[in-house]
Amino acid sequence: MTALTRIRPADRPILIAFGFTILILLIGTAYTLSTTGTVPLLQPSYLMQQLQIGSFLGLCAAGMMLVILTGHIDLSVPWTLTSAAMVATAIGGPWAIPAGLSVGLCVGLVNGFGVSVLRVPAMIFTLGLDTVLRGLMVARTGGFAPQDQATPAMLYLAKAKLLGVPVALFVWIAVSVLVTFLLARTTFGRSLYAIGTKERAAWLSGIRTRAVVTGAFVGSGLCAALAGVLLAGYSAKAYQGMGNSFLLPAIAAVVLGGTHILGGRGRYIGTFMGVVLIVLLNSVLSIMQMPEALRQIIYGTVIIGMLLIYGRGTRISE
Amino acid sequence: MQGPIVELSDVSISFAGVKALEGVDFACHAGTTHAILGENGAGKSTLIKTISGVLKPDTGSIAVNGREVRFAGPAEAADAGIVCMFQELSLIPDLSVADNISLQRPPRHMGLIDRRAQIARAEALLARVRCEDVDPRAMVRDLSLSRRQMVEVAKALGRDPKVLILDEATSALTQKDVETIYGLLDELRADGVCSLFISHRMHEVEALCDRLSVFRNGRHVETFGKGERSDAEIVRLMIGRDVTAKFPPKPAPKEREPVIRLEELRWENRLNGVSLSLGKGEILGIGGLDGQGQKELLLALFGVLKGVEGKVTVGEGDGLAASPHAAKTGRNRIALIPEDRKTEGLMLSLSIADNIVAAALDKVSGRGVLDQARLDAAIAEGMERLQIKAGSTEDAVKTLSGGNQQKVVLAKWLMIAPDVILMNDPTRGIDVGTKQEIFRMMRALADEGKSILFYSSDYAELIGCSDRVIVLYDGRVVSELTGEAITEEAIVAASLNIQGEMA
Repeated sequence: MTALTRIRPADRPILIAFGFTILILLIGTAYTLSTTGTVPLLQPSYLMQQLQIGSFLGLCAAGMMLVILTGHIDLSVPWTLTSAAMVATAIGGPWAIPAGLSVGLCVGLVNGFGVSVLRVPAMIFTLGLDTVLRGLMVARTGGFAPQDQATPAMLYLAKAKLLGVPVALFVWIAVSVLVTFLLARTTFGRSLYAIGTKERAAWLSGIRTRAVVTGAFVGSGLCAALAGVLLAGYSAKAYQGMGNSFLLPAIAAVVLGGTHILGGRGRYIGTFMGVVLIVLLNSVLSIMQMPEALRQIIYGTVIIGMLLIYGRGTRISE
Repeated sequence: MQGPIVELSDVSISFAGVKALEGVDFACHAGTTHAILGENGAGKSTLIKTISGVLKPDTGSIAVNGREVRFAGPAEAADAGIVCMFQELSLIPDLSVADNISLQRPPRHMGLIDRRAQIARAEALLARVRCEDVDPRAMVRDLSLSRRQMVEVAKALGRDPKVLILDEATSALTQKDVETIYGLLDELRADGVCSLFISHRMHEVEALCDRLSVFRNGRHVETFGKGERSDAEIVRLMIGRDVTAKFPPKPAPKEREPVIRLEELRWENRLNGVSLSLGKGEILGIGGLDGQGQKELLLALFGVLKGVEGKVTVGEGDGLAASPHAAKTGRNRIALIPEDRKTEGLMLSLSIADNIVAAALDKVSGRGVLDQARLDAAIAEGMERLQIKAGSTEDAVKTLSGGNQQKVVLAKWLMIAPDVILMNDPTRGIDVGTKQEIFRMMRALADEGKSILFYSSDYAELIGCSDRVIVLYDGRVVSELTGEAITEEAIVAASLNIQGEMA
C-alpha cells in the first residue's frame, strides 16, 4: 500500500499501461509455448519489427496528444496522412518529403484557424476537413491508387535499418524526444497544459490561446503527414484509405497513456506506452489467430476496460 | 394574524467552510408582500434558494403551513406552491413561449402534449401580465430581455403559487412592465399569495411591500412593517457594525499624475458613459451594488470586451488593449485579479508553480525555452513575497485554502511587474487574516507607484483601502468621494441612488 501511495497520480496510468503490456506479452508467450513451443514474442527481431510498424501509429499519437492536451481533438488525421503520402509520391524527387510535410502544415493551420478563431467545435471542424481532403484526393486520383512510387529517401526512412534498428524507429524516437522537450521545457508546452485545464483562465493570464491552439493543430498535422510519408515509403506507394486505421488507435493510445481526454493532464511517456500496448495487443491477437471479428471485440473491450480503471482511480483521488 | 405560510427555524448553510446562512429564523405570511434587503453576500440568494428547494439546509428546519418539509428539489417545492423567479432567467431559448410556460406540466391529450390547449393557456397567462403582444408560438430566443422576463413571470403564475419569490424581477423591465408587476402583486396579495420580493431599488420596496426583513452576513437582523424605519435606519441595519478589519494607514490626499483616463466609456447596455481618471500610486475604489457595470469596466480595461466605445488614454498611448495579452505586455502593463478565482484566476488542477508563472512565462524563458534556474527563482520569490502556505509548489492549487489560492493569483500577476492592477472583489470568500495581508500588500504596491483600481462588494474595504471611491449605478459614475467623505452612509446612499432623499 505504501508503495502505491508513493506513486504520483500522474504516473499511475503509465504504470498500469506498462504492467498491462507485460501481461499481454506473457499471455502471448504462454500461448505460443503451449501450441508451438517457441517464444517469438520475446525475440528482439520480432519486437523490433512490431515497433517499426508501431512507429506510424506512434507519430500520429504524438501529434494527437498535443491537440488533446488543449482539450480539443483532431479527427482529420486519416486523410492528412493519406494526402501527405499522395502529394509526396506525386511530387517525387528531393522535394517529396518537404511537400508531404507542408500538406500537414497547411491542414494544421486551417484546423487551428477554424477551432481557435472561428470557434467551430474541433470535432466538427476537423472531421469536415478530413472529408474535404478525401474529396480532393479522390478528385486527383480518380478514386484509384496513384501510380507514383515512393522516393528512395522515403524508402530509406521507412524500411532501412541502421545498426540493426529500423530507421523508422529512430524517427519515432526523435519525434518523441522533441515532443517531450516541447511539453516539459518550453513556454508552448506550459501553455498547452494551461489552456487544457481552463482556457478562460489561461486567456485571462495573457496566454495567446489562439496561437497556442493553432500550434497544437500544426503539430498534429505535421506528425500525421510524417507518418503518411513513412507509411508510403513502407508500402512503396500511397493508396486510398491508408490512414483509415490510425484515428481511433491514436486517440486510444493517448488516453490509455493517461492523458485526460478533456485536456490539461498527461505525460508523453504515457502516450508512448499506450502505443506500445496497442501494437502488442494487436500482434498477440493475430498470433493467436483470432478471427477478425473476435479481435475487434477484444481490442475494443480492452480499451474501454482500461479507461474504466483510470476513471475510477481519478474519481477516488479527487 | 394566521400562522406563517413559510417558516424557517435556525437554518444554517455553509459552502466550503464559509457560512452563507447562520441560525436564521424567518417567517412570512399569506397575503403579504415581503421585501428581503441586504448587501451583496448578505445571504438573500441563499435564503430564497433554501425556501425554493434548490439548496438543503445543513441544520435547522423549514415548515410550510406549519408542517415540516424537506424538499428534494425545486420541483417538490413548486408542488407545495413555492414558485421562484430566479435572477438568471430560466427559460429555454430554443423552445416557444408556450412550451416554456408549460414546461413542467404541459396539458396532455392521450399522452401527447396538447398544443392547442398549451397555446390557449399561454395566451391566458400572458394576458394576465398584459403581454398580449407576445406570440405564444414565438421562440424565446427572438424576444427582448424585458419580454423574456415577463414570460418568466407568466410561467411562474401558471404554476399557481402560494408563495411567489421574485429575485430582482424588475431589473430588466421597462417602466410599463414594472407597473404591470406592481398591479399583479396587488392582485396576488388580495388572493392571499405571499410574495417575497428582492430588489436593490429602495423606492420599489417602499411602494410595494408591507413587511421588510434585513439580512447581513448570513444572519437575519430584523423584520419590521413598512414605515417603522426610516431609509437611514434601514441602511444602518444593512451595514451593521461588525466589520472590523484592520487597514494600513493611508497617505494624505494629493494631486497625482494620471495613468489611465476614461471619458464616456460605453459598452452594450452595461457601461453607459463611465468617466474617471486613475492616478499613479493611487488606490481607486469602485463601489455600488452588484451588476452596475463594475465588472465590465475592469474587463474593458483588460482588453476582454469587444466593441467598447469612448475615449481612453493609458499612459502616453491611446485606446484600450485588444486582448489580455496586449494588456499585460503594453507600455503600461495591466494585470487583472478576476472575480472568480476558481474559473478565471486559476487553473485549479495545475500545480501552484505552474499557476504562479502562467502570466510570466516569457520572463523565465529565452526563445521559448524555459530556464529552470530562473523558473525556480521566480516561483520561490512569489511564494516568499506573498507568504503562500503550501506543502510543496508541485501540489495542485486546488488543495490550497481560498486565501492562499487568491495569493497565488496575486503572485502570478506581481511577476509581470504590472503598472496598473485591476482587482475584482479580491477578498471574496477568504479569511480575515489573509484579507489584512492583501490590504497591506495593496498599499505597499501603491507606495511603489503602482495604480490599483479596486472593486469590492464590501463597503468597509472600500473605505479602509481606497484613496478615492467612485460609485457606479446603472453603468455610470454617480458619485465620487475623497478622503473624509468616504463613509458607509455616503457609499450605500449612492449605491441605491437615493442621496437626494437621504441628506
